[in-house]
Amino acid sequence: MVKSQSNPVEKASRLLDLVPYISTHQGIALSDLAAEFNLSESELLSDLNTLWMCGLPGYTPLELIDLEFESGYVSIRNAEVLQRVRLLTKQELVIILLGLDILGSSLNPDRKDLGEAINKLIFKIKSIVGDIATANPIVDSTHRAAITQAIQSRRDLEIKYHSTIRDLVSDRLITPLEISLDYGFEVLHAYCHTAEGFRTFRLDNMQSVIISLSTSGVPKQPASADYHWQIAITSRFRTSSERFRAVFKMRESNQPERLSVTSFSQDWLLRNAMSTLASVEVEGPISARSMIAEKCRQTLELYESGRSSK
Amino acid sequence: MSRKTERLVNLTIALLATKRYITKSEIFRTVDGYEGSDESKERMFERDKDDLRNLGIEIEVGTFDPLFEDESGYRIKPENYQFQLGEVSAQEITVLSLAAEAWRGASMGPAALSALNKLHAIGIESDSELLLDLAPAIVSQDENLAIAISAITTKTVLSFAYLNEDLQTQSRTLEPYAVTSRFGHWYIFGQDLDRKSLRIFRLDRISGVLKLQGKSGQYQIPAKVDINSAFTNPEELLTATLKLRDGRALNLRVRGKQISEAVDSSGWQRFAIEYRDIERFIEEVLWYGDDVIVEEPAELRTEVIKRLKEGVRRYG
Repeated sequence: MVKSQSNPVEKASRLLDLVPYISTHQGIALSDLAAEFNLSESELLSDLNTLWMCGLPGYTPLELIDLEFESGYVSIRNAEVLQRVRLLTKQELVIILLGLDILGSSLNPDRKDLGEAINKLIFKIKSIVGDIATANPIVDSTHRAAITQAIQSRRDLEIKYHSTIRDLVSDRLITPLEISLDYGFEVLHAYCHTAEGFRTFRLDNMQSVIISLSTSGVPKQPASADYHWQIAITSRFRTSSERFRAVFKMRESNQPERLSVTSFSQDWLLRNAMSTLASVEVEGPISARSMIAEKCRQTLELYESGRSSK
Repeated sequence: MSRKTERLVNLTIALLATKRYITKSEIFRTVDGYEGSDESKERMFERDKDDLRNLGIEIEVGTFDPLFEDESGYRIKPENYQFQLGEVSAQEITVLSLAAEAWRGASMGPAALSALNKLHAIGIESDSELLLDLAPAIVSQDENLAIAISAITTKTVLSFAYLNEDLQTQSRTLEPYAVTSRFGHWYIFGQDLDRKSLRIFRLDRISGVLKLQGKSGQYQIPAKVDINSAFTNPEELLTATLKLRDGRALNLRVRGKQISEAVDSSGWQRFAIEYRDIERFIEEVLWYGDDVIVEEPAELRTEVIKRLKEGVRRYG
């Protein structure tokens, strides 16, 4: 993820940050310094060569910043003026603020000390930038520590999981891969040995998490058995495309919006089709249409048979 | 290209090192990189000042002698240049770094990286024992979030095309006040200049890229921004009576109140469940298919039956 050519202002900004960093990390290896600033070594060398030309007016060796990096290790002298760590820009403060919000709400409840430290920092930053950014992930992260520990020690997890798609709570054996935040929900990407496929689990839908003694491999090729349905949206365009998690785009005509939707779960597609009976028509495949017809009939029967008893 | 970089760094060093204000002519004479006609030097200097300001470096303007309005001078006060969170402990550095780290690879990646470089430059080792318990990540790839945050911090008006329920776009002009994430989505909140009222917009419903309009510093953000008010639903709360199949419709069970304790002979339980928007609620009920039966209100029951009949007709 190395950045491409940066513009001269970005480069100046980076040079100003390089000086204090090298000052507190005298003798750091070029490769480590490049990694810290997400640069290639040649980009870093170009930065250092530019910095070497900078200094106080006069620009004699007495005034110029003195850099040593030919040995492969970087040290700096004569840079007292720039040695201070720069202030965080408002934008940087805002993203830290949002990150703190997420940290705070995903904290293990027995870390009260950290909670206090986070709140203190949030207060400090808000007094500088104002109350302009908040993040409210819907997280219950009591299981987080177990998950991160399992990821680091490459162990499997046994979880009791509430699947909203299947409307069921089930026990699964999974190999955890990575935690991230998706649509505001904290999720775990994992290989599910019970379902034999890569799955994403919402942390707040996990009812229990136990680190297993087993360590399983993960297949290289994700076994993809995706379902593709063709749908035509005829009303409630935005809500309906959001339901099917379709990328929505501007409509140019008043025609129905025809698109193809994909999921690993036929059940999820069917439930969405039921929800949107009045605004979406599933056009294919034929097997999908008969599934929906069957589900409608079964449901309708309940209403008709129950009429007398009601 | 790199001449510009050098000049910006040299200008910063000169203005930071000086204890007194230095004049423009002193700058042009002594700071390396100012070349060409007087006019082009002026232009360079003006642009450099703007560029430094955008990096968060404030240049103070002052005069030498308050009695004579002679040439004004410039300097950067060290207290406006340096890290402003004061003394920080190893624990605080860890927490701040983790907060920035959460954005790595997401839409705010570059700002997160420079924040991390600064935090690490302080030279205090992170408290690595904490890292075990905490490692969140934000995967918002929406580049509009970065633009929205930068518009708010610079107080710049935004214009954009917003998709309505018919997926047609409406053009909007907004003085942005705040961003927030709720129910899994990012929102931007502010004063809608055409509709002359406070409005909230979901970022992923914006078509295309947010555009910055005009100069920065165009408006004031009110001292009390009440973003919660934008989320309060004015619609009346209604109650439905539903029969749920035993052990199914788990989310409705959590939300609702059970009326009949016992499972009846055919395996159903009666629940009272509150809702506001009838259309959304019908869609929610239908999601559970033959695991939910609506009993009351009649209006809701009739509409569900109508849709099911329509489904049988269309697909059957």
